[in-house]
Amino acid sequence: MLTPPDVALAPLLPILLVLAGAVASTVLGFHLPRRTLTYLNLALLVLSGLSMALLWSGPGEVPATSFGGGLQADNVAILLGLTLLVGSVMTLLVSLDTAFRARVSFPEFDAMLMYAVTGTLLIAFSGDLIVMLIGLEIMSLSSYVLATLQDSRRAEESGLKYFLLGSAGSAVLIYGLAFVYGATGSLGYAGIAQAAAGLNPGNLALLVGGALLMLAGFAFKVALAPFHQWTPDVYSGAPTSVSLFLSTVVKVAAFAGMLRVFGGALQNAPGWAGVLQILIAATLIIGNAAALFQPNFKRMLAYSAVAHTGFLAMTLLGTPEVGGSALSYYLLVYTLMTAAALAIVAALQRTEAGMEISDLRGLYYRHPAYAAALAVCLASLAGLPPFAGFFGKYLAFQAAFQNGYVWLSVLAALASVAALVYYLRPAMLLFMPDRTPAREYAHGQRTPTTLTVALGVVGVTVLGILPNLWYGWVSNPGIWQALAGR
Amino acid sequence: MIHLMIFLPLLGSLLLFAFPRQWREEVAGFFAALTLGLGLLIWRGGGAELFSINWVPALGVTYSVELGGASLALALVTAFMTLVAVVYAARRVENPGTMLSLVLAMETGLLGIFAARDLVLFYVFFEDALIPALLMLAIYGGPARMRALVKFGAYTLFGSLLMLLSIIGVKYYGGSPTFALSDLVQHPVEGPAQTWLYLGFLAAMAVKLPLWPLHAWLPDFHEQNHASGVPDVMGTLYKVGGYGLFVFALPLFPDASLALRPVLMGLAAFTALYAAWIAFRQTNWKRLLAYAGLSHMGIVALGIFSLNETATVGALYLLAFQNVYTGALFLAVGMLQERVGSLDTRVGGVMTQAGALGGLTMSLWFASIAVPGLAGFVGEFSVLLGAYQVAPWLTFVAGLSTIAAAAYALTAFQTTFWQGRPPGGVRVADLRQTEWLVLGVPLAVAILFGVYSAPALNLIQPAVRGVLSTLGGT
Repeated sequence: MLTPPDVALAPLLPILLVLAGAVASTVLGFHLPRRTLTYLNLALLVLSGLSMALLWSGPGEVPATSFGGGLQADNVAILLGLTLLVGSVMTLLVSLDTAFRARVSFPEFDAMLMYAVTGTLLIAFSGDLIVMLIGLEIMSLSSYVLATLQDSRRAEESGLKYFLLGSAGSAVLIYGLAFVYGATGSLGYAGIAQAAAGLNPGNLALLVGGALLMLAGFAFKVALAPFHQWTPDVYSGAPTSVSLFLSTVVKVAAFAGMLRVFGGALQNAPGWAGVLQILIAATLIIGNAAALFQPNFKRMLAYSAVAHTGFLAMTLLGTPEVGGSALSYYLLVYTLMTAAALAIVAALQRTEAGMEISDLRGLYYRHPAYAAALAVCLASLAGLPPFAGFFGKYLAFQAAFQNGYVWLSVLAALASVAALVYYLRPAMLLFMPDRTPAREYAHGQRTPTTLTVALGVVGVTVLGILPNLWYGWVSNPGIWQALAGR
Repeated sequence: MIHLMIFLPLLGSLLLFAFPRQWREEVAGFFAALTLGLGLLIWRGGGAELFSINWVPALGVTYSVELGGASLALALVTAFMTLVAVVYAARRVENPGTMLSLVLAMETGLLGIFAARDLVLFYVFFEDALIPALLMLAIYGGPARMRALVKFGAYTLFGSLLMLLSIIGVKYYGGSPTFALSDLVQHPVEGPAQTWLYLGFLAAMAVKLPLWPLHAWLPDFHEQNHASGVPDVMGTLYKVGGYGLFVFALPLFPDASLALRPVLMGLAAFTALYAAWIAFRQTNWKRLLAYAGLSHMGIVALGIFSLNETATVGALYLLAFQNVYTGALFLAVGMLQERVGSLDTRVGGVMTQAGALGGLTMSLWFASIAVPGLAGFVGEFSVLLGAYQVAPWLTFVAGLSTIAAAAYALTAFQTTFWQGRPPGGVRVADLRQTEWLVLGVPLAVAILFGVYSAPALNLIQPAVRGVLSTLGGT
């Protein structure tokens, strides 16, 4: 006898709203100017955020699910989803100003972006590996296009590189996924977590193999060393608004997937944590060391994104309660500060290649507000209090430290010193007096970009002084116990 | 009132830009004076009680502040020197708005450091004092500032991040519910873990103090700072290191500090002598002062590491007043540079034309090299007296540095202010208007507390007894 599929619309609504924006941009793009569509998409993103807030389940409530648990709108999904939306809104705002200069100002840009956001939300809301994979692929395919959209050699090269390496990563991931299914006989996170508890040795080996393959696949997506090599080229080759999107929203989504899979489904599976800590150590060393020697500011930010991956991934080593809350706090802060910094680069650069670090000299005397904002972002990225980056880093250290990864915490502390050096140099150059003519685009200071920057800077400052505003929400241990679903 | 005292300067530094350019100096002076006034009121009221509320409850981070005893003494000195620096900067630095704003912002960081009774809060203020210091160096620094800046930043953060790990560890291994000092003391960490955590903590304090071999940032930092010496007055961050050791490290790691006492005292004594030796060879006034400060900090460290009551009281006394006369000396060097155009110690003959500048500088140097009757003597003598009971030979070595101090200070003074005036040298003006106050008032303070040390001792001594009694007292 046939049973009708379990389709509940309420938990789907946030995703459907974003998808509607993507479809609208595709179809209406023939009739409406791009800016109108962008405003429409911004509105839809805000609506999606509101619908997420409505889905928030208080203590004792059962979160809404759809497709028999394949999609679950639990509080984890909502927290991560809101972070994704913040990054997407910031990208769209910046693109209002810079898309024309970057020669990507056509409706397809918006369409692709919104499709990508749809995919990222699917990952955050996923309840089984298939939904996660579908989301990941939607996100990845749209990002490949976004990276190539600009008509330039650099964009083509970076897009192709992204595509080839990204699909290799996906392939490895799918292979791992098949292993995990083979070992546990389940695709749902809850089922995997349950099955992983009592496996016979043969299946356990399969599970470990699958977990490691999935780890490698995710490592491609979040740019953990040694799978990070595409990142600097792609981030610096793509138009800056796209780099902003890739280094914030896409990375947050990939981490959301990692959190779901490793923090939830495979939490009790052996092996992956030991490998992950080596990957993190390599990322911390390579990312920070490479960023030290970048003369180009945009490229330096790309390497800094790699370095931050290392700090972010440290949270996965903690217990779900500590690590999950640390990760979701850090991801929001990371999105705010990275997006604001790249927004300033996007506004002030002369070409899409970004700006040299030496070009920043004396920016304070030409664009005081942007320079001060950039300095705040860099201080936050470096983890200096009272900006929120400090608490992010602190939470990451704490998560790893309390779970016994003391040496990794010490290594991370040492890596932060290198990080301070490369964030400090541009930050201080901003304030040094300079008598040579300006080297930045003179008319880059515009309202939507300023709004984005203000959002980032205010967010980073407020969350730094009053971390409880966000951490109070995410630190509730109840929402992390059900990470794998039920 | 205590919160007002901590955050008033920061408020002032932000509000400064709201005022028209020609009033900024007065406004900054007003805020600095008001802060000092509040500090004196707190002093008269017998200190500010512990105030504690949850800041980030989920993490166990509290906002706990208290100003009493040693921390009040240090806070008062900081507020006083800020006012002096503001008065001087207003006249000396051209277009001083940004500088004054940074000075005030830094004051909040420093007062916060002295008031904090929560480890994470302490760390936050610790790093916050760093940002204005870096900006002062970046905006007003000398030609090689980038190197000095990176060095300073890297050293400081290297230490403080290890301290951050220790902070996490202290709470985690001890099982304390919050980071508040009172809770942490009740949940001590035992065994070898304590030693490791102490070493992590020590790394941060040894950088700030600074202790050999983590001192290399200090001379460059001072040399590249603005010639007026204003950033140096605020940037004499080393008072933070000794204080942090005293307030946090001793109560939290009693066994480890006892076990490591000989090694650390040895390092401190070596630092004192080594720095004095290098100071002797300096030809740049700022580097000379930096090394002199380093040498004094060796003595301070000797006192604190000795865990002896007399020595610790002396160390904190020295810590507080060293800031007064060394700060004033940095300003005096700034005045010299303004007149002669160089920071070289071999200018010669300045005394003949600028008698008052020379006289006040010399008197301040006397305070610095611990001539009896001046504040430096009380501190250094107590440290040496107390430390002698613990480690006579190490104290002897450290004591040599006081002789060396007389040698380097007087040599440099002699080559600059006496000797013959080189032919063709510019005419040197004497002290003018507020400059009298800038050098005179700190000197008066140094004399006052050199002769009549009771008010400061009354603050410091009970605090030291309180801390050392937790160790079982030696």
